[in-house]
Amino acid sequence: MSAPHRRAVFTSLGAITPIGDGPAFRDNLRAGTVGIRTIQAFDASALPCRIAGEFPQPFDAKKYIPASNKDGRKSLKNMAKTVQMGLCAAQLAMDAGGPKPGSMDPFRFGIEIGCVMVASELDDLAGAAKHTITETSRVIDMAKWGHEGLEKITPLWMLKYLPNMPACHVSIFFDAQGPNNTITGGDVASTLALGEAFRLLQRDAADYFLVGGTDSKINPLSFTRNNLFVPFTRNNAAPATAVRPFDRDRDGVAAGEAAVIFGLEELSHATKRGATILAELAGFASGFDRGKRGPVLAGVIRNALKDAGIGPADVDHVNANAGGSIALDAFEARAIHEVFGKSVPVFALKGQTGNAGAASGALELAATVLSLHHGELPGTQNCTDVGTECPVTVHVGAPRPVAKPYAVKINYTDMGQCAVAVVKRWQD
Amino acid sequence: MRRRVVITGIGSITPLGHSPEATFEAALRGECGVDYTTRFDARAFPTQISAEVKGFRLDDWLPNAAEYVKAGENTKFALVAAQQALRDAGLLQTAGVDRTRFGVYLGSGEGAEDFYSLIDSIGRAADANGFRADAGQFCRAAKDLFDPRREAEFEMHTTAGHLAEEFELLGPNFTCLTACAASAQAIGEATEFIRHDDADLILAGGAHSMIHPLGVTGFNRLTALSTRNAEPKRASRPFDLDRDGFVLGEGAGMVILEELEHAKKRGARIYAELTGYGTTGDAYRMTDPHPEGRGAVKAMRDALKDARLAPDDIGYINAHGTSTAANDECETAAIKGAFGEKAYKIPVSSSKSMLGHLIAAGGAVELILSIQAMLRGVLPPTINYETPDPKCDLDYVPNVAREKAGIRNVLSNSFGFGGQNITLIASRF
Repeated sequence: MSAPHRRAVFTSLGAITPIGDGPAFRDNLRAGTVGIRTIQAFDASALPCRIAGEFPQPFDAKKYIPASNKDGRKSLKNMAKTVQMGLCAAQLAMDAGGPKPGSMDPFRFGIEIGCVMVASELDDLAGAAKHTITETSRVIDMAKWGHEGLEKITPLWMLKYLPNMPACHVSIFFDAQGPNNTITGGDVASTLALGEAFRLLQRDAADYFLVGGTDSKINPLSFTRNNLFVPFTRNNAAPATAVRPFDRDRDGVAAGEAAVIFGLEELSHATKRGATILAELAGFASGFDRGKRGPVLAGVIRNALKDAGIGPADVDHVNANAGGSIALDAFEARAIHEVFGKSVPVFALKGQTGNAGAASGALELAATVLSLHHGELPGTQNCTDVGTECPVTVHVGAPRPVAKPYAVKINYTDMGQCAVAVVKRWQD
Repeated sequence: MRRRVVITGIGSITPLGHSPEATFEAALRGECGVDYTTRFDARAFPTQISAEVKGFRLDDWLPNAAEYVKAGENTKFALVAAQQALRDAGLLQTAGVDRTRFGVYLGSGEGAEDFYSLIDSIGRAADANGFRADAGQFCRAAKDLFDPRREAEFEMHTTAGHLAEEFELLGPNFTCLTACAASAQAIGEATEFIRHDDADLILAGGAHSMIHPLGVTGFNRLTALSTRNAEPKRASRPFDLDRDGFVLGEGAGMVILEELEHAKKRGARIYAELTGYGTTGDAYRMTDPHPEGRGAVKAMRDALKDARLAPDDIGYINAHGTSTAANDECETAAIKGAFGEKAYKIPVSSSKSMLGHLIAAGGAVELILSIQAMLRGVLPPTINYETPDPKCDLDYVPNVAREKAGIRNVLSNSFGFGGQNITLIASRF
């Protein structure tokens, strides 16, 4: 592979997560705070799994969008919560060290966001539904829907929920007219978005990206649907210890929510404007592990190391996707073992946050970027005894000092899409 | 020197036919795929017409079709278009090609929305006035009404996942959804991944069907759809003065993108080279394109620059041409912005006059038609072009196909709700 001449660095972070936003996120990360609890946002008592990684306070977009931005605040009403979350995380990232308004060529400012189908709020369809079902037979009367129901739905309903709306609104807020893509690749979406932004920067199609993901399964429709096909934990009684990455007693995953957006920037552009550099994005690779057996994921890890021009011995830690799934944690552990043996410490965040879906890659990467920047890696929560089918060394307990310059972030989906990013500690 | 990317296989399932050849021949005849909607009872909707894929059965194509009974139409269309493209490129057999260097990149939509269970569950949970729905009651009803397998297939990454599983494609596996620009963007970014050496081969394209009650409801509430219910075949009329919105279509289009040396080494037939890609965002409004097509102009210019071509080199433009008032006017302005006076000399047509709007799948299907037009030397028309709109004054190849020999390069535009502008250029190899 030809060495890229243009390098990409992380220059800011905006995070809204079950363990807090802004500076609280880093503190809680370090403290091992768990954001998984019995769902507070609505009554999920009828469902088999009733716990999830949930924001500590109900999400309020106005907290993040300055009152001076009147048009921006007004536009929030046409956005579902997931869309607002993405926009607010982007605002946090811009506030934390983005380029000043008007200082950039708008065509060199791109957006890459991982998102998936956003579930409709029930109330938006309640009027139409009420007037359409026949009370006795439960038949959906399509004539009633067309004649009366449809009119009860707000005209911009569809646009509240389209997955490319976070990227659309972020581009409008910050006048980003460069490449604008929305990756809808399930749980691996934001890592794929990051990889694509990386390639766009390398090939000189942009100088600056807002890149990351936004997703929330904590709404009645998404959470019910997910309960039907996601292998959720049944440990409703003990949410704080329910999600157990790589642990012998793990019994399933938990849903979550988060919006995490990075400023990702071409190196000379960052230094020229005097931006604080948090870390460098050094390598990326992706693939599809059919049957989730391990060898293809191992190959993707090797390709990402190769893309970064390094070997396994240069890696300080692996930041795993592991979320307490009986099958998938073992799959991932086999792949990590194939590349690193048991020599590299493995960290997993999902015990604290649950699975933030399309935002999970960016959320978990934030832990690694902050670890490299501050020089210490927090311990993995809820991994007491590593399962024998998971041949990895899990880092638990107190934060450990970062000893080597590189870290590896792994993400994958339940089907087998996988992506790996290699991040380097920044040193001038 | 950068790695070059060529197209070595094509496949499509469209409202005009079940293959690229059938689709192209129907387009040359000026056939229209629009008719009354049969997928659900749409008789009370403001829009009762759509361009459905007709007579399609997955088990005519796949021996294991039964595995996909719960999958959405998008996945079924995608499987067959992919199978066609792979067979066309001689890549259905897995031997001889490193499958970890063979990826998938789709611009693809959601699966089959279970409208009836959803509305039933919400209706049961709604208060007397229908102002609010009780979440607890909804969960209780929905968990029993929803079909778990069907709900799993609703997830957007499943289509590309199924293609990877079915055809052993173990390289990068991406899905994007930038509304109506998605599959063109997928082809553009996939091309860049091959150029960068992330893969040698990528099955790229799109699949979508929004011809379901909530899809039509959403677009009807936005007043984006034509309501010319009395005349389905005349409803999609891009650039015509009397256009009143787009017509929903459905289907899939797939191309095999392959690194040039890889294609040569295995003696593959080369349809065309993917030479130009431009990608921008309007950063303007949620619904409306920028009036001068600011981002669209830049996307076309960037694609020309990427292909190292001048405006004169483009022999045909396949327009996004949706048949909405705003798009067709802004796109016309944008083409003039990018090509200047030369815009009047380049034939521009909109296949959506015949296909309807395949949303995420549109860009891929239209790129394939553009390449066929270049290779055959015949341009598909814009049908239903009857009354010129003074704001749309280019040569739209009105109503009948036109022979044009010697085309070296074709350009295809795709623009998304939300402001994504994508331009692709394919060149004769």
